[in-house]
Amino acid sequence: MTATLSPIVHLVDDDEAVRSSLALLIGTVGLRVQPWADPQAFLAGFDRQAVGVIVLDVRMPGMSGLALLEALVAQGVDQPVVMLTGHGTVEMCRRAFKSGAAEFLEKPVDDEALLEALQNGVRRHVQSRERNQADRLARERYAQLSEREREVLGLIVAGLTNKEIGRSLLLSPRTVEAHRANLFAKLETQSLAQLIRNYAALAEQDGAA
Amino acid sequence: MAGLLACGLGSVAIARLELSRLRDAFDTDMRIVHRLLSQRVVQHDAVLATLALLQPPAQADPAEQRLPALYSQILRVQRRDRGAVWADPRQHAAEVISRAVRHATLSHVDFKAGRYELVLAAEPASFALLMDLRAVVPWSEWPMQPKTSRVRVALEQDGQAFALQPGQAGGWGWRFDFAKHLASESQPFNVVASRFVSAGELPWLPMLAWSLAVAGLLAGMRAWQAQRQARQRAEELLRLGQVSRLNALGELAAGMAHELNQPLTAVLANTQAAGRLLADDPPDLATARAAMDQAAQQARRASDVVGRLRRVVEPADAAAPARPVVLQEALRNALYLVEPELAKRQIAPVLHAPTEPLRVLAEPVALEQILHNLLMNALQALEQVPVAERSLALTLSASGDRGRVEVADSGPGIAPEHLSRLFEPFFSTRDKGLGLGLSLCESLALGMGGQLAAGHNTPRGAVLRLSLPKAPS
Repeated sequence: MTATLSPIVHLVDDDEAVRSSLALLIGTVGLRVQPWADPQAFLAGFDRQAVGVIVLDVRMPGMSGLALLEALVAQGVDQPVVMLTGHGTVEMCRRAFKSGAAEFLEKPVDDEALLEALQNGVRRHVQSRERNQADRLARERYAQLSEREREVLGLIVAGLTNKEIGRSLLLSPRTVEAHRANLFAKLETQSLAQLIRNYAALAEQDGAA
Repeated sequence: MAGLLACGLGSVAIARLELSRLRDAFDTDMRIVHRLLSQRVVQHDAVLATLALLQPPAQADPAEQRLPALYSQILRVQRRDRGAVWADPRQHAAEVISRAVRHATLSHVDFKAGRYELVLAAEPASFALLMDLRAVVPWSEWPMQPKTSRVRVALEQDGQAFALQPGQAGGWGWRFDFAKHLASESQPFNVVASRFVSAGELPWLPMLAWSLAVAGLLAGMRAWQAQRQARQRAEELLRLGQVSRLNALGELAAGMAHELNQPLTAVLANTQAAGRLLADDPPDLATARAAMDQAAQQARRASDVVGRLRRVVEPADAAAPARPVVLQEALRNALYLVEPELAKRQIAPVLHAPTEPLRVLAEPVALEQILHNLLMNALQALEQVPVAERSLALTLSASGDRGRVEVADSGPGIAPEHLSRLFEPFFSTRDKGLGLGLSLCESLALGMGGQLAAGHNTPRGAVLRLSLPKAPS
């Protein structure tokens, strides 16, 4: 599983000295660094599955950091992006955050600020990946339910009792009870609270569809 | 376009005025001619009537034969006594008519020869006068010069014409005409006159003068307008120049920020990384040393950037050759440019200057820039005090081999701790100030071999003194 690999920081800056010094600094806290001199090469070649953070210089020849940020977001890249700039204007900062930047830092950047931003970014990325993982699992389990079980789940989530569900679906309370036991087993759920927390959204989505 | 129209209309008006004057002169002359000739021919009637009345006796030397001696126009006097017969049958025919109409009648007209004969029937004797046309004309009273006049005058009768003066005809131009029969029943000759006014007679000189005057006026107006526009444009350009200079400085600042930030980022990252490596247990000395080397190298790179910038920013104006400039004029120009600013802030500058021109060696543009900056600085300082307390004194003086300009304001003045930093680049006490104005002024002054100094004004305010080498007289 990718989440278990150590996180990687993609550092995109056209200035060799800046690249190597920041890579050294980031390396001191044990983060892996992959430096990129060319924005296009980075866009084509970086590992999208890996957990990590992307650091972009705003001012680069060929493709500006902001344009690169927008391209990443458009391609659905989920790694948090930290922007670095020599002279940040309010407008530039606003545009960066609007485009989905996680942080906006001014050069020369202080080590505390940069490393904190990177570590926060990594943490957030790991959390979002885990959340996605759980979502996917829930979806898979939900897919195993029969049509009738999904109907019953929808009504449970809506807050109806077994007796009410039976009346609504023209089933005996006994049959409802059997469906209920089945879906709890299939969804690997122990309590009603857990069921509602993990599957309410899916059930409502399905009911609406 | 309007100018051409004005020239054209004016010239036509002048030409028409002249033509109507010529026409009046012609008409007057012709009235005189008609009257003179009419008076003359009436005399002939009178002579015949006298003869008919007196009936001088027919004798060997009749009295009437003395008439040609008295009247030069009478060539011959003939009489037909009762029972006698006229030598010429035309005389007889004329006498018959004369008797019927009861006044003298023409018996024959020969304008080719310049003659005509007049017959008056009477009792017992009838008389005939042969007239010399040329002598009929009273030349002494004639209103024109017959040889040179441009007017053609002729007498016409029965299809014959006798030219009294030839005049001058032909060519392109205008023609005046006159025709009127003489006021005489017996000799109703038609006086026919014509006058050609050729194009050459038009008042070209006044017309030309008018056109020149109009053209001159227009040119003057246009020049005045052009000058005004040029002045406005110059002011615009100046404003634009200031704006673009600020823009250029903004660009420069942005470029400088990036150029310097890159090495500074590397320096900071390297040193901080080295710090962390040294804090490790055990410390990674080799990597830390490499990081420090990198940091030093990047610090040198930053210093190169600064050096390069200085060379770019250093004003090229100061290198332009200095030449004699009259300080009074330079100051007046600078004041002229800030006039609207002065008016806006209700500041009336007081100027103390020697009457004789104070010549200094300077590069005019640089000098103007310095003066402009000093004035603007003073104005901005004066903004901070109430209107009633605003005063601005400008003093020109010469001391030794230097010419000096002093700009003294009554503003808040310069704080003692700021005095020493006043000419530093990017030092400003204003929020929005770039801090380049005075720094630039000082560089420009130094470049021209001059000096710029700041001090305290009494009782309060700031005084800036610019001194420049005097021009050799």
